[in-house]
Amino acid sequence: MINRRLLIQFLFYVPDIILGSILYFLHHEDYFSSGMINYIILILIVYLAVKVLLHIWVYKVFVINQIESVRRYIHNFKKGKFSLKENELRGQRYLSEIINELTDVGRHFENMVASQKDEIDKFKEFYNNIVLSVSSYFLVINQKNEIIFANKSFSTNFNLANEDIVNNSISDLFYFSGGKIADAIENVKKKGESIVLRQTRLLSKNRIAIIADVKISRITMQGENQIVLVMDDITSKCRKDYQISLISQISESIQKDDEIDRVLFSILTAVTSGSGLGFNRAMLFLYDLASETLDGKMAVGPDSIEEAVQIWGAVQGEKIDIVKKMEDYSPGDRKGGFFLEQVLSKHYKYTSDALFVKVLKEQRAYHIKDAWNDTRVDPDTREFVGVGEFIAVPLVAGNRSIGIIVADNKYNHAPIWQDNIELLSIFTVQAALSIESCKSLTTVRNQMEKIKLRQDAIVESEKMAAVGRIAAHIAHEIRNPLVTVGGYAQRIIQTVNKGLKNPESIKNAASVILKESERLEKILSNVMDFTRPSPYIREFNNLNEIINDTVSLLQNVFQERKITIQLFLEKEIPLVKSDFNQLKQVMLNLVQNAMDATPQDGVIKISTEIDGDKVIIRVKDTGSGIDEDHLKNLFEPFFTTKVTGVGLGLAVVRKIINDHNGEITAVNNPEGGAEFRIILPVPI
Amino acid sequence: MSRILVVEDEQHQRELYAMELEDDGYEVEQASNGKEAVEKVKNNKYDLVILDIRMPEMDGIEALGKILSRDKKIPIIIYTAYSNYKSNFMTWTADAYVTKSSNLDELKNKIKEILSSRSV
Repeated sequence: MINRRLLIQFLFYVPDIILGSILYFLHHEDYFSSGMINYIILILIVYLAVKVLLHIWVYKVFVINQIESVRRYIHNFKKGKFSLKENELRGQRYLSEIINELTDVGRHFENMVASQKDEIDKFKEFYNNIVLSVSSYFLVINQKNEIIFANKSFSTNFNLANEDIVNNSISDLFYFSGGKIADAIENVKKKGESIVLRQTRLLSKNRIAIIADVKISRITMQGENQIVLVMDDITSKCRKDYQISLISQISESIQKDDEIDRVLFSILTAVTSGSGLGFNRAMLFLYDLASETLDGKMAVGPDSIEEAVQIWGAVQGEKIDIVKKMEDYSPGDRKGGFFLEQVLSKHYKYTSDALFVKVLKEQRAYHIKDAWNDTRVDPDTREFVGVGEFIAVPLVAGNRSIGIIVADNKYNHAPIWQDNIELLSIFTVQAALSIESCKSLTTVRNQMEKIKLRQDAIVESEKMAAVGRIAAHIAHEIRNPLVTVGGYAQRIIQTVNKGLKNPESIKNAASVILKESERLEKILSNVMDFTRPSPYIREFNNLNEIINDTVSLLQNVFQERKITIQLFLEKEIPLVKSDFNQLKQVMLNLVQNAMDATPQDGVIKISTEIDGDKVIIRVKDTGSGIDEDHLKNLFEPFFTTKVTGVGLGLAVVRKIINDHNGEITAVNNPEGGAEFRIILPVPI
Repeated sequence: MSRILVVEDEQHQRELYAMELEDDGYEVEQASNGKEAVEKVKNNKYDLVILDIRMPEMDGIEALGKILSRDKKIPIIIYTAYSNYKSNFMTWTADAYVTKSSNLDELKNKIKEILSSRSV
């Protein structure tokens, strides 16, 4: 382009050269005549004209173009483009220096602005992070309940794009089945006072459920009232708090429980309750050793989304008392519920390769995220569960798998997070132990039942043996009187046959028969006393009265045998629930025994005393005491050391005392003689 | 005339046997328990003893031993309502074991049998 500049400079001097040449020739030929002056003037005019035209042309070509370039440059500068095309200002050294300087300034500013933008972005991110980290959701709504603003954590958590939120009504985003929040918003609009709703359950239309403390307050922006909702998500906090008490609460109440169905129901309630593990549905299968099948045993969860929303709304803002729910449960509740019916009808063979059996065998939890495409899920299970994501956890007690729990979020499609799985795993350990202990309890109970039946059988056979003993004893005992009766009857017949007129002999024989018959009756009534069922005891008696009554009855016998009787009776003795006549029988038998054992001039002491919630009666004698060998058989029926005794006296005594929920023991006193001690309970 | 000692605690039975045996021509004495029986045997001579077992003071088993230790040859018939004493070897030393019955024929036959064998 240097050539072009030289050319242009040369062009500038072309008229001068032409003018100079003309003037030179004219000088030599001496044309400076008067006639020529006009031509010369003309030539000068042409020269001036050409020169002006040249200037105009050069100006146009160079200056105007350069100004255009500068203008374009400035135009670009305004737009933030600081580059200069190399060829545009070529040769214009000063200008291009200025422009370059300007460009530098521009670039400098650009850097400054750029660095400030970074600062602002950082700042923005910083605040966003803070908002996210406190996990509070901000919503601003106008008077028509339309959302004007929602923060990022809100849209992230509820999985909504900004355009799904802004300009929509808040009731388009949430199920307000409880009406609590809607009411609160209206209240705040009217009164302007802030309201805080604690532990509020929120279920979004896209089925994301949270528990939050919601603060609703009114602000004024550009003369218009707006409502700000700040939601502090406490779902996980609630869950963790609850989890701690849940496990202890559940296991405590399950431990008290022996109804296996109720235990299973409780476990699944814990798995599904919103404040518990919060799954939508849960089902429980137990392995049956006998049939070698994994059987559906219990299921908890709604049958439809409508039911799910209803349940969710019903418990809004309330703590579910799981234990209460469990207590309300009765085995009859198993009826109804399509979901439960479905689960109960499921039986997997241990040999099958169904997913649930795999969980059982491998004792490992399976978290299935996409059941439709996961090859580990067999088609039957896929169809049965009918949901993409679910978790199956084994119930392991000791080292043995006893069953599995399957849980899913069929209705809100909430993802199953790792911490849900961990909680479920912790919980299943507890649950498995509870089931196992309940099952063993049931087994123990069944065994106890069997033992009791066997015991009853033993008691029954013992009774039969007793009857046998009674029969044998009666046989012997009544033999003597019968022999006597028969013998005398024979004698009467013989007397008559021989024609002997001996009425005195016959009368004598008959009176013997009569006496022996009476003796037979007495023996029989003794036996009857023993075998008679115990009466229903409903009276309250003073034991001292019974003792006094007995003693006065035997007063004559004491005198006859020269035995002294001494009473030491507690005056404040409480009344005892008892049968007066039966206890009198007891005292009669004991005192009679004591008399039989006591020689002449002996002493019998009877005392009553109070020992806590019991009363004690003691009957002591100064006789020879009881043979150590006999002590253990003393109260057995038909055990007797007396030649003429039936052996039922003390047996009857023990039976009556047992019927009174009391105890009787016999000991030998160190100072000699026997002591019988009766302990009877005092009703509270 | 043979002398028979009836040892029986049941008064009516004792009297019955006495009457019956006297009717049959025996001389009968009575004892109401073992102790009494041993006393009587010590002081008197009997041709036969009818001995009950269950008695107060001293029972028939003990009395049996004591009577036999004094007179080995005296015939003894145990006459009891209980059949189970048959298994007690002490009773084996008696000449007969008869279970009580209102029909005294068995007892009477046994007495006759023993006394006749002795008299030979």
